[in-house]
Parts: sequence; C-alpha cells; structure tokens
Amino acid sequence: MSAYKALSKSNGDKQEAPANGIKKNKQRVLILSSRGITYRHRHLLNDLASLLPHSRKDAKLDTKSKLYQLNELAELYNCNNVFFFEARKGKDLYLWMSKAPNGPTVKMHMQNLHTMEELHFTGNCLKGSRPLLSFDASFDKEPHLRVLKELFMHIFGVPKGARKAKPFVDHVMGFTLADGKIWIRNYQISETEPSRISTSTDSTDAKPKVKKNADGKETEISLVEIGPRFVLTPIVIQEGSFGGPIIYENKEFVSPNQVRSEIRLKKAGRYNQRAEQGVERLAKKGELGLRTDGGRKAKVDELDTGTLFA
Amino acid sequence: MVVKGKLKMALVAEKDIDFKKLNLKKKEKAARKKKAQKGGDKPESNGKVEEVWEDVEEAAEDSGSDEDEEELETAPMQIDFEGIDESDSDSSAGENDQENDLEDDEDDEDIPVSDLEDLDDEEKEDMIPHQRLTINNTVALTAALKRIALPTSKIPFSEHQSITTSAPVVIEDVSDDLNRELAFYAQSLSAAQEGRKLLKAEGVKFTRPTDYFAEMVKADEHMAKIKAKLIDEAASKKASSDARKQRDLKKFGKQVQVAKLQERDKERKTTMEKIKALKRKRQGADTETTNEADIFDVALEDETAKPSRKDRIGPNKRQKKDEKFGFGGKKRFKKSGDAMSSGDLTGFSSKKMKGGAKPRPGKARRASKK
Repeated sequence: MSAYKALSKSNGDKQEAPANGIKKNKQRVLILSSRGITYRHRHLLNDLASLLPHSRKDAKLDTKSKLYQLNELAELYNCNNVFFFEARKGKDLYLWMSKAPNGPTVKMHMQNLHTMEELHFTGNCLKGSRPLLSFDASFDKEPHLRVLKELFMHIFGVPKGARKAKPFVDHVMGFTLADGKIWIRNYQISETEPSRISTSTDSTDAKPKVKKNADGKETEISLVEIGPRFVLTPIVIQEGSFGGPIIYENKEFVSPNQVRSEIRLKKAGRYNQRAEQGVERLAKKGELGLRTDGGRKAKVDELDTGTLFA
Repeated sequence: MVVKGKLKMALVAEKDIDFKKLNLKKKEKAARKKKAQKGGDKPESNGKVEEVWEDVEEAAEDSGSDEDEEELETAPMQIDFEGIDESDSDSSAGENDQENDLEDDEDDEDIPVSDLEDLDDEEKEDMIPHQRLTINNTVALTAALKRIALPTSKIPFSEHQSITTSAPVVIEDVSDDLNRELAFYAQSLSAAQEGRKLLKAEGVKFTRPTDYFAEMVKADEHMAKIKAKLIDEAASKKASSDARKQRDLKKFGKQVQVAKLQERDKERKTTMEKIKALKRKRQGADTETTNEADIFDVALEDETAKPSRKDRIGPNKRQKKDEKFGFGGKKRFKKSGDAMSSGDLTGFSSKKMKGGAKPRPGKARRASKK
C-alpha cells in the first residue's frame, strides 16, 4: 500500500507540476460530521459545503474516538484538508480542521452559529465563486494564530483552478480575532455605480477599468451579509493529522461541560443555603420552646389555660 | 539521523551554554507533559516532514521521510523536539524559533490570583480551582506552519486571494453587537476594495456581468422567502406606526375638544357676568350721568358683536323662542282679567259716556270731507 502510495504520488506530482516551477495552490477539502449533530449543525455544514466548491462531502463518521480514520478517508477521496464537525451531547459542536496526511490539526469549539437560512440576510453570491479572505492583523502575532490563519486560507479559500469554481469574485469572508475567539462572517460584494458617466465607460472591456481604478473613478463597493455566522474558540493544535503531540493548548478555554456543571453547582448551592436556613430556624424555635417536640420545654406558667382548667 | 544530530550539535555549540541547559530542561518538561497527556498522542506522524505542495523535488524527500518516521517510532520519548528541529531545513529560521521559545517561557505564566479577586464572593465559593497545562510549543508551531504555508509573497494574489489588515481590528466590547459587526464590516470592506484593486491589476475578472446567470448559493425560493419576510416586516412596521399615529391623534383630539369646551364655558360665564354687571349698573345708574352709560353701551355692543355667529345662534335662539312662546311660570288664567286690568282705565272717557258719540255723518258729507 505504502509503496503504491509513494509511486502514485510521485507520478501525480510529475504530471501536475507546472513547467516554470511555481507551486500551485491545490486544495481539496473533505467535509463531514460525526454522528449526533443537530439539524442546525447539519444546515451549517451544508451552507459551508455550498460555499466551498473544492470540497467533498461525505457521510457521517461513525466514531468519535478513532478520528485517525479520517486520514484514510481523506486519502480515499484525494483530499488534503479535512473539515470535521464533532457533536457532543447533541448540543456542543467542535470543529476539527486538519491538513490531511501530516497535520497540523486544530480543534475548535464552535459557538453562536447561525445558518444561512435562519439569518434572513439579503446577500447572495454565485455558488462556487472564489471568495476574498479578509484576515485581522492580529492573526500574524502569535505562531498558533498563524497556523490557524494558514488553515483557514487553505480550507475556505477556493483554489484558482477548482473544478466547480465560477470565474468572478463576488463575496468576501472575514476572519476577525476578538476576545480570544475567531469570528467568521461572509459578505456579498455589491458594486453600485457612483454616477452615470462611469456607467457608459463600464461597459467597455477590462483595460479601461484598470485605468479608471488609478483615477479613483470606480464603482462603489458595499457589502451585504450573506451568512452563515459562527464563532470559533481554538482549543488544541496537534502536530499530526488527528494525532501526534499537542503543540498548543488554549488555557483560557472553558469547556461547555464545565460551564454547565458550574451553573448546576450554583443552583445546588442556593438550595443548600435555604435548607441550612430552615434548620437554623428550627433550632431557634426549639431554643425558645416553641416546638412541640425537641428543644427546650417552655416553662409552665401558673396562669396557663392548661394548668388553670386541668 | 547521525548527520543531522551533528549538525544540531554544531548549531548549539555556536550559541551559549546556558541555552543548552535550557534546551535540556525543556526536553524534560516536554517528556513530563507527554506522560501526563498520553491519551490521544500518537507519535507516529510526529517526525514526518512532508511538503503538502505538489512539487517534483519534494517527491524524493517524501519517501525519505517515511523512513525517518520508522526510526522515530523506536524512540518515542525524544521525538518531540528532535523531530521538529529536523523539519527545519533552514538553520537561521531554527535560531529564530528557539529565540521565540525563550520569550515564550516568560509569557506562559498562568492566570494570577489577583485577576480572580474581583469576582463576587458567591462566585469564588463555587469556583473550582482548575488549571490547565499551558502548552504553547512555538518551535513546533512554526515548523508546522512552515510545512503547510503557501508562499503568499511568491505566488500571484489571484492564487490565494487573502488580505490581512494593516492594523489589528480592535473591538472594545464584544457584547456590543452593533459596533462589533461594524468593525467586521469595515474589515471586510477594506479587504474587498484592496482585493479588487489587486485582482484587476492582475487582469482577473472581478465583477459579475449582469447577464451572467448561474446557480447561486441561496436558491430562488430561499430569496423569495427572504423577500416575503422583508415585506412582512415593513408592513407590520407601517401598520404599527399608523396605529400609533391614530392613537396619538385620538388622544390629542380629545384634549383639543376639552379645551374648546372649557373655553366656551368660560366665555359664556364672562359674558353673563358682564351682562349682569351691566344690568346692575343700569338699575343703580339711572340718576347718574348718561355719559357713563353711553360708554358702557358701546362696550356692551362690542361685546355682543364679538362672539361668532354660531355662539349667537345658540343661546339667543332660545331666548327669542322663550320670549315668543313663553317659558316658565303657570300658563293658566293668563288671559283672564285681574286687578290691574280692571283698574286700567286708559280706554275710558267720560265724553263717550255723556252724550254718546256724535252720530255718524252722512255719506255725502263723508265723501266731501275726503
């Protein structure tokens, strides 16, 4: 198998390498999810798959523990990127992004996800047009963020020669780092004519457009959001693809399980406090002799109805 | 392996001895961590040094790296750092990485307790002291990055189409939806503008012509749904604003009506008062000079002329009718004689009583008289 792999790889490389020696951006993404995702997770996955023409969607993966199987799957489908949704407890969604045979792999927690359908944004774009990727400058500050940026670039950027890609650029994907999380947005680029004069010149071919660009007389760009929206919190980066040593771990990440358990504990604390108060009250009443059983007995008064009329 | 080890030794020898020690310490630390984690860590793919790039030159190296992998599997404890260092083909880059690592150690402090002090007592009580291991292996990260990175500076922009902002996007409060989204929008907008410039400079098609139709990400029925939703929203907004206007108008209209009524009441009262005062004055001022009354008369005339026709019609009509048809008091015996009427002798003359009236002159006389 490995011999075959090596052989076939070398053959393939020879065919695909361009003559001038410039490397070509070739990406293919395997998109799939684990079992137990909710409908919203599934819709989000479909939305993303529709935005990525260089992707291959596969059936749900049966296992959550043997993720290294994904490497074989990726090889089977000729993919060098894996984009994997792992659902836990039917509510938490983790996103794995990996460069298939050799890594690295990033595991992220996905929050605030909204699918295209439920957002009702008016933006729209060609299915399979190549997006512009807009990154926050803070991605270049730390090595783990640079790794993340590179992975985003490979997975969300549609390579130039992708089979189903459309020739125009009509949407931009924004990746912003805020509050230790990565916020992802998708906008349509809508161009509007600033005046009538430019409309007449706009119909001519591309060359005058470039000239116009220099003059600053361009169509005005505005953005309309398309969706989906989601927020990612990086958790772990592994050196290999679904394996290998952990080379980064986010210590600020608090797992949703812990958050939930803390909320539960807090609630339990409230009950405990109340129960304690109840016990204290009983003890106090006992001290004052207001209880029929237990505690100190009240002093028998001579004028008490019980003694008077006994 | 041996050759590479020598290389590394030479590298280390080039630097300070302190550095060597540090490296040792780090190895120990890494080993400890590995023991602690153990679980999902598979050391196999560790040392792989493969280019993801489809490239001819890399093919041979690929097969070589597989051998490396096998070698490494025999000594899983050391793997981490050695593998990484080997994957650095560039020695100068390796130097940088290690320097980074030195700095990183200082950064890797855990959250200080002082940061936790501003929590509520209640929260503190429930907090579980939980500390994650801080792992941030800069060397390995940069190595991994290097392995997969696209040479964005070498390839044309149209190949990768990624733009990084010149300054980091600052968002003060992430929970402030409006400003946060605005920042995202601004970031993407600037990228779109710059991207268009770069793409057009490279002669790549950017704008979709209006007559280019193809499948869209959102299907027509989806867009129709969105449109219906928008229309619905606008309609409901309009309806609610209309209702509000109507409500306001109603409230205001009532106020106006009340004010008008009050004003009218007041006016009537003042005129009545004036008339009364006038009457009183007339009664008492009969003997006085007429001059004063004249002045007052003029004023009264003015006063009566002032009110609008509508006002005049209202009370005056009733008065007239009362005068004409009578109002109040008993209606019986109105036409029967009383002391006054019997005492009234205006129509009586003794002359008539005495000789009686002169006989009527004859017709000829009467005619001649005329």
